[in-house]
Amino acid sequence: MKDIVRQKIGINVDVMDLLNEQIAKEAHSAAVYLAMASWCDHNGLIYSAEFFYKQSYEEREHMLKIFKFINENGGTAYSPEVSNINHDFNSLQEIFETALDQEIQISKSIHNIVTKCRKVMDYGTENFLQWFIQEQMEEENQFRRILEMFDLMGTDGIALKLIDERVKHVE
Amino acid sequence: MNLLYKTYYFSSYQCDQRRCFYIDFGHKQVKLSFCQLLALRQKVQTIDIASHFDKDLNYSGIEIITLCNREHLFVFDTLQVMDLKQLLKATFGILELNSLVLH
Repeated sequence: MKDIVRQKIGINVDVMDLLNEQIAKEAHSAAVYLAMASWCDHNGLIYSAEFFYKQSYEEREHMLKIFKFINENGGTAYSPEVSNINHDFNSLQEIFETALDQEIQISKSIHNIVTKCRKVMDYGTENFLQWFIQEQMEEENQFRRILEMFDLMGTDGIALKLIDERVKHVE
Repeated sequence: MNLLYKTYYFSSYQCDQRRCFYIDFGHKQVKLSFCQLLALRQKVQTIDIASHFDKDLNYSGIEIITLCNREHLFVFDTLQVMDLKQLLKATFGILELNSLVLH
């Protein structure tokens, strides 16, 4: 019997399912960052707002990268539904902690897909995901550096304004 | 045509010559490209079978599924949905096994 599946698709079908789940996670992240940007904008933290608008754009780019990868390799990418976005936050520090937790979850999810790729010998997708592993390390470090500012400078009055101004220099 | 898997209600086949798949739904046989088979798998996978046992979530206990860009429309009861889930899971399992054997 011919291997029609392999002729039609370059990636493992189970890995494709995980990539589709990852698309939904990246879309969710993009929406969460927009909510954070909105909160910052309303609270006069303009540089943090700009930072989260940029983060949201990057998450959407990650989503599109995976989306196109699936379709280009014969699979079917599914446009995700995004719901359950929290818009209520108590402080800027809470926002950055939430953002770091979110990035850690995304990293774990990527690692989980890489593990699956190795198990089913889908080396093409594993190679594709290497870029995401590096990217996630950079993203996590970015949030860690910002949270360190809160440890050093505190969270009240002028400290908050100074942190907001320094956020734009963190890359 | 090669039989891939057979359940109580349905069976799946692969046609090497036409490089496509067939699903026999009992009263009707449907030709599917790989892409269409993937789409059916996605639709069936996302059906919440638990909702069939909750009158508030699924009062009638049926699912309406369209196939091949709405060329076909099927109405399945709970047992048929469970059967279809099993068919597609096993079909893709056989296809993966075939790929492992050939390479």
